[in-house]
Amino acid sequence: METLNFLLQGFSVALTPENLMFAAIGAILGTVIGALPGLGPANGVAILIPLAFSLGLPASSALILLTSVYAGAMYGGRISSILLNIPGDEPAMMTCLDGYPMALKGRAAEALAISAIASFIGSLLATIGLVILAPILAKFALRFGPAEYFALFTLAFATLGGITGKNQVKTVVAACLGLMIATVGVDITTGNQRYTYDILELYEGVDFIIAIVGLFAISELLFFIEMHAGEGFKKVALNKLNLSMKDIIQVLPTSLRGSVLGFIAGVLPGAGASLGSFLSYTMEKKVVGKSGYFGEGDPRGVAAPEAGNNAAANGALVPMLTLGVPGSGTTAVLLAMLISLNIQPGPMLFTQNAELVWGVIAALFVGNLILLLLNIPMIGIFVKLLSIPPKYLMPVVTLVASVGIFAISNSPLDLYFMIGFGLLGYLLRKLHIPLVPVILGMLLGPEMEKSLRHALTLSDGDWTVLWSSGLSVGIWAVAIAGLVLPYLIGPVLRRRMAAAQDKDHSIVD
Amino acid sequence: MIGDRILGVVLLLLAVVYGWEAAMFPEPFGGSEAVGPETFPLILAVILGLSSIYLLVRPDEDEEWPHMKMLAELGFVLLILAIFTLMLQPVGFIPATTLMVSVLCWRMGAKPLPSVATGVGSAVVVYVLFNFLLELHLPAGLLKLSGG
Repeated sequence: METLNFLLQGFSVALTPENLMFAAIGAILGTVIGALPGLGPANGVAILIPLAFSLGLPASSALILLTSVYAGAMYGGRISSILLNIPGDEPAMMTCLDGYPMALKGRAAEALAISAIASFIGSLLATIGLVILAPILAKFALRFGPAEYFALFTLAFATLGGITGKNQVKTVVAACLGLMIATVGVDITTGNQRYTYDILELYEGVDFIIAIVGLFAISELLFFIEMHAGEGFKKVALNKLNLSMKDIIQVLPTSLRGSVLGFIAGVLPGAGASLGSFLSYTMEKKVVGKSGYFGEGDPRGVAAPEAGNNAAANGALVPMLTLGVPGSGTTAVLLAMLISLNIQPGPMLFTQNAELVWGVIAALFVGNLILLLLNIPMIGIFVKLLSIPPKYLMPVVTLVASVGIFAISNSPLDLYFMIGFGLLGYLLRKLHIPLVPVILGMLLGPEMEKSLRHALTLSDGDWTVLWSSGLSVGIWAVAIAGLVLPYLIGPVLRRRMAAAQDKDHSIVD
Repeated sequence: MIGDRILGVVLLLLAVVYGWEAAMFPEPFGGSEAVGPETFPLILAVILGLSSIYLLVRPDEDEEWPHMKMLAELGFVLLILAIFTLMLQPVGFIPATTLMVSVLCWRMGAKPLPSVATGVGSAVVVYVLFNFLLELHLPAGLLKLSGG
């Protein structure tokens, strides 16, 4: 009952005309960002953070705007999966398997509509799950002491590569780089300067927003130029929508199953949206059995992964909001936004900033409804965006990113940093060092060091305090499993995902 | 193979320098504590050092690296961004942006005329949007001087 009251309060925040407008703007912008080639959700949200920031919006409005962008980008991403056979981000990969064949058969509009409906169901159910689960987890997390938090941060890094991660050592390297960047600046506890080399601008540390925009947006520009992808990709034409009630009813059970699986995958550390959509797809194939024609344009093959990945994306908000530990790249970017608004996520968020957090959750409901209403009739407009050639688009995106960074503090030095991070991002991506742990390291570094200090000060320098409670031993065990398991299970899972794709591609070709 | 080996060497060097500097931190005011400013960096240096040795011993397959010509191209793009930053305040937002966006479009394969059109268009639109609609002031530069 308590939760319901909070949620009602949240709706009173989200439904003010101003915030409703921000949710709508965010939903449209997000869909545009998701649909544009070369701009994933993480990238899009990252570019918009400095803008939302320099506009001086109140915290709840800024959060509502950006979570709507996040939700919208997930919707927009499937447009390129279905029409171009190019997934906007990794979780959208599974949508290509049946979405593109449907489009080739002249049912592109139906595929888009079905994926919109499935996405809506996935997000809706996962948001309900979030409402139920988050307060429980937050209450539980109040028992965490600094030692448990230190273990939890380690767990976040250990499981970030995901169960399908290729080279865990590279995840560790990436996390170290991020944490090392986080140590630059004046040490909060002692006032010592660390790695500042007497450069005044470094005293406050390196701004992670600049790092995010550089690592994601600028390196993306370099990749586009290297791939000579300036002309754009060939897309399938859109037909007139012809969707009957029967089609919708056919995919309903699929969407429900996919949502549940996706949500669980999203909440669990180390699983994430990619695994969520993969599991929903493979399970659906098993459940439907012989009557399905998966890989040849079965609508259920579109609905399952879409419901799964949207549910996982919202499920990933549970650990992010309650523990301050994001489970994916995009939630890491959302965490960056919270921290720059001076809001520390974690169990206290639900008591100290109840109005804000419930406002955002309510905005997720509203945003999803807006997205569904927007997406079915206006899909044609968003599809048109795919025809903008990247040779004009990418430079303008780079400009918007640079202006956003410049607007934070009117300092050209920030822009040089952004360019430097762009080069770094390019090199790291070429060497298969994942970028998300770098970002997460920069975000979590200060808190992680603080909990280590608190724990050891309380224990008078006794290091065994870090694994002295049952809870912390449990967290360490999961963290170690997260690092080691991918070596055992990863190759098998990866082979299956690759096999699923190869098989389907051979049918397409 | 070679990519990861070079990476391993660079990271190992970084770990050593980073850790060595941490060990050299002056003792904080008020005496040392169980965890000083150097503890966390030292842990990171050890982990990074061990990981980089692993990369040296067991490197992954290399990604295909671009040829010299493409590397020069990418370097040129970064240079354009740096020139944009350099010009931004003294020369002003509109000329700097026009230059940057036009050159980037051109380098991505657009013809010169549409490139310049995109450059001028985006510069003016973003400038107007920021200065008048969002009230965030972008540097006017020379335009301001000539405009009086």
